Amino acid sequence: MENVIVLNSSAMRQKNNGNIQAAKAVADVIRTTLGPSAALKMILDPMGGIVMTNDGNAILREIDVSHPAAKLMLEISRSQDDSAGDGTTAVIILAGEALAVSRRLLEVDHLHPTIVISGYYKALEEAVAHTKTLTKTIDTNDDDEIRTVIKSTVGTKFVKSWSDLVCNLALKAVRTVAVTKEGQATPEIDIKRYAKVEKIPGGAVEDCQVLNGVMINKDVVHAGMDRFKRDARVVLLDSSFEYKKAESTLEIDVSKGEDYTKFLKLEREWVQKQCSAILAVNPSVVITEKGLDDEAQEIFARHGVSCIRRLRKTDLHRVARVTGATVVHRMEDIKASDVGTASTFEIKKIGDEYFTFITQDEDVPVQPKACSILLRGASKDVLNEIERNLADAMNVARNIIIDPRLLPGGGAYEMALATHLAKCSQKITGLEQKAYAALASSFEVIPRTLAQNCGAEVIRVVTELRSMHNKPGMETWGVDGYTGKLQDMAAANIWDPMSVRLQCVKTAVENATHLLRIDDVISGTTPSAGRGQRAAQEQAAGMDTQGMDVRGMNTL
Amino acid sequence: MFLQGERTFGQSVRTQNVNAAVSLGSIVSTSFGPLGLDKMIVSTVGDITVTNDGATILSRIDVQHPAARVLVQLSRLQDMEVGDGTTTVVILASELLKLGNNLIEAGIHPTNVMSGYRRAVAKATKFLEENMSHQVSIEDTEVLMNVARTSMSSKNISNPDYFSRLVVDSLRAIKNSSGKFPVENVPILKAVGGSSNESQLIEDGIAIPCMMVSPQMPSYIKDAKIAILDFALKPQRMATGVQIQVTDPDKLRQIKEQEESMLLARTKVLTDAGANVILTTGGIDGTAAAFLVENGVMGVQHCDKRDLRHIIKNTGGKILLSFADLDAPVEGDEYEADTFEEALEDYKTNLAGSIGSADTVSEELLKTTDTVGDLNQKLLFIRGGPTSAVRSIILRGSSEEHIDETERSVHDALCAVKRVLESSEFVPGGGCAETAVSVFLERKSVDKVIDPREQLALDAFGKAMLVIPKILAKNAAKDATELVAGLRAKHIAAQKAEGVTDDRDFGLDLVEGVVRNNFKAGVLEPLMSKIKSLNYATEAAITVLRIDDVTRLENPEQQQAQQ
Repeated sequence: MENVIVLNSSAMRQKNNGNIQAAKAVADVIRTTLGPSAALKMILDPMGGIVMTNDGNAILREIDVSHPAAKLMLEISRSQDDSAGDGTTAVIILAGEALAVSRRLLEVDHLHPTIVISGYYKALEEAVAHTKTLTKTIDTNDDDEIRTVIKSTVGTKFVKSWSDLVCNLALKAVRTVAVTKEGQATPEIDIKRYAKVEKIPGGAVEDCQVLNGVMINKDVVHAGMDRFKRDARVVLLDSSFEYKKAESTLEIDVSKGEDYTKFLKLEREWVQKQCSAILAVNPSVVITEKGLDDEAQEIFARHGVSCIRRLRKTDLHRVARVTGATVVHRMEDIKASDVGTASTFEIKKIGDEYFTFITQDEDVPVQPKACSILLRGASKDVLNEIERNLADAMNVARNIIIDPRLLPGGGAYEMALATHLAKCSQKITGLEQKAYAALASSFEVIPRTLAQNCGAEVIRVVTELRSMHNKPGMETWGVDGYTGKLQDMAAANIWDPMSVRLQCVKTAVENATHLLRIDDVISGTTPSAGRGQRAAQEQAAGMDTQGMDVRGMNTL
Repeated sequence: MFLQGERTFGQSVRTQNVNAAVSLGSIVSTSFGPLGLDKMIVSTVGDITVTNDGATILSRIDVQHPAARVLVQLSRLQDMEVGDGTTTVVILASELLKLGNNLIEAGIHPTNVMSGYRRAVAKATKFLEENMSHQVSIEDTEVLMNVARTSMSSKNISNPDYFSRLVVDSLRAIKNSSGKFPVENVPILKAVGGSSNESQLIEDGIAIPCMMVSPQMPSYIKDAKIAILDFALKPQRMATGVQIQVTDPDKLRQIKEQEESMLLARTKVLTDAGANVILTTGGIDGTAAAFLVENGVMGVQHCDKRDLRHIIKNTGGKILLSFADLDAPVEGDEYEADTFEEALEDYKTNLAGSIGSADTVSEELLKTTDTVGDLNQKLLFIRGGPTSAVRSIILRGSSEEHIDETERSVHDALCAVKRVLESSEFVPGGGCAETAVSVFLERKSVDKVIDPREQLALDAFGKAMLVIPKILAKNAAKDATELVAGLRAKHIAAQKAEGVTDDRDFGLDLVEGVVRNNFKAGVLEPLMSKIKSLNYATEAAITVLRIDDVTRLENPEQQQAQQ
């Protein structure tokens, strides 16, 4: 009988898929970047660009994987980055290990995947409950305590030599942008929108600072305008000073010569009218999102007003949060209350470029609610790495201010979970017990990797740590990531935010179960219209640029 | 006969078709039941779908064989109409085809097989309705949760108790005045991040994935009055093709000013009517946005129209379709009412009626007890309102693929519970209903004098039903022969006995590998879903068996090119 072709002939089916191996391979790539003795990865992209980092998410974003299961691993690192902002390496390592331990269950013990999964879920539930008993809460108003926590995060990064500096930068930036709104218990901290990092190569890392205001890579539009003003009155506009035509299609018939001059005159008059409306509120600085006509430049320069044009919308909103100004759209409607104030408006030349600084003095009653963080460093690569580390540090600071519960770092938390779950597993009946115990042991991968990365005797250290955790009151002991010795994390003051660590555990286990359930991979099919495609479109519409990059990389 | 193409006919066609359908059945069969596993489907462009849902698998894998496509369509139909039981349809249909084809090969005419199948499905439906169904009342939370749990048992749901409560609660909240539970009134919002146990039902409203136009607008509004527009708040422009000829220079400026003032006047109509939240499907222009900021109004642009339809169900009001609705009548113009005053009065009540209300509207970060909220994910929450017709569910999870699958599982569970709520009838699951039908047909098909050839088809139908418990046992790596025999014994006893006995509720326990009372164990499925899947499967089998001739037409252009 001839073959019956049911599927698209290019489609492939793969029964014994290598999902577990692929996920493990991804985890192995970034294992060495965990902990204070972490190594950096240098990634060369096809265009010859170089990325140097030890940030898990950044590494995975750059490398191009083709195995679908590996792609899912990349996705969890991204979702961890989105929802907690840190712990991207740990989540991959945990997920990889949770899958690796399941292999034995599936292949040697012949457990059904659904049994393994239900054991995993039971263990996860207990882990989440037990986590709460290990926490310590700090006072969010105490800067020193928060700084200690940020330090334990920054300690693992490239910037550790300047960890005090980065901690201070992160804390100050986060404190600046925290705003408590009506109807909300915790402050809203929008780092992405209101704390902008500006990198200027050159200078020393010690010169990095959080401005008490913002910095913009712009210069005044006209040479005759002042580049320095004290107590500036700032007007912000999001509309153009250039004559704009109406929306409808217009055709102008000029039949007489004087009509033509009249048209030009009208345009000029209009610009003059707009300028005088603005000048009526007596500004000293005018900043607009759109263009600024030559005519208007002249007028403002004559009146001693400094102007900056073509700002990004986000920059404009930051300036608004610093100066207290309202962004004006119709210049006719401008009111005195729309004008903001800044203690200093200054344009400095750094290197070849001009930068505008709009800052407030420390004693101004209304302090800025947005800031720029100025990073200096020897090269672009160093700056990029500092920026990534600072982003993690800021996220940590933000997480602690919103949820001040902490867990011991240095693998102590994971070891405590492993020990506790191993004990609990003895009470579980049925086949799930094996899966439960396996997941418990998989948490040990964190202290194990920490010990490995600093060149300690892994088996001796981990065994010793395990026996310590079995004694009461030793839950806070972990591995010192520099020396590989055991250490009381509470005494060494190494703490991580609970929100990050717990999120790691949850995401890792869920993703592992997701991959474990797959028994059949069908590839090479063309996507057809359906619920999924619609979702894909919706997602594409709302995707941020970072997501774009990732997608672009994968399809390369 | 001259035919541009290729023609095959007779039994070989039928065998080919049946083989195609059976191979499709074998693809989905491993994902069937509580111990079935998922499929990972990777498209040519690298998109990944991980799913356990029969309809989704079939819609993604690009089936080319025409007979197999019939099955794909029927499973889609089941998905649309019942929302659950799609894998069952494909498995049953392919088994019916296999056994039917055997009969035809043994010399029975296809029409006899088909009419036998029809008779069988009619008998089976009647039997299920009369002898197998149980009743439930809306108040019985435990039973409803069991239905949801059964539907989700085959899916990757970490905490079935939590999700089944979510499903039951959300459906109860949206019961409408005619006693129906429209599933589309539980919009599902997917937000990557967190853990799937942090998924939540918004108990008093709706969430939509939109943000305010300007951060200077108030992000929290109490006693909100909501105007919902299906057009952009942008300066009015003439339609394409319309040109305005300007000869007088002064007019140029006037046109622009007119455009702007028209926009502002109309925006003002909305705010004057009390609106302090404006949601639109289009954009909001800078001019309008500035006006809204100044008046402390929250403006949200580029909303999804489906979301807006959901919102008005809760808040009242209506979607304004064009600017024309906002223009006050002008004295001297034509109007429907008798006098100008009346027309103005009509207009005002009309406008006021277009504006909905809610207790609060706020832009918030997504938050749960253990997480600090996502860094970038802000949602608009519309809470409270005159009616409670719509409740959003927000799903969380570690990856997009995971959430997509959770959404499908929750959707299936919503549909299953809705069926039970509306018809209040359900049957025990775990192969119970199918085995009962099989035993019933085996015993009853000889009762009445019918065509002996149809008799054989009736027998085949009964046998085909057993494929469900067989695959369930096979996927759980249990001894299918032993379990199915045990199950049959129970059902034979039940049907022999006088009256109703507990034996009729027996089905498979796949974890322990024993036969048990699934009604007591809480494995429950809606009766309607069972009946529909039987009917669709029979329909599919008949459609494919009818075919005895396949003509593949060649593309005339291609042929010319070959010559």
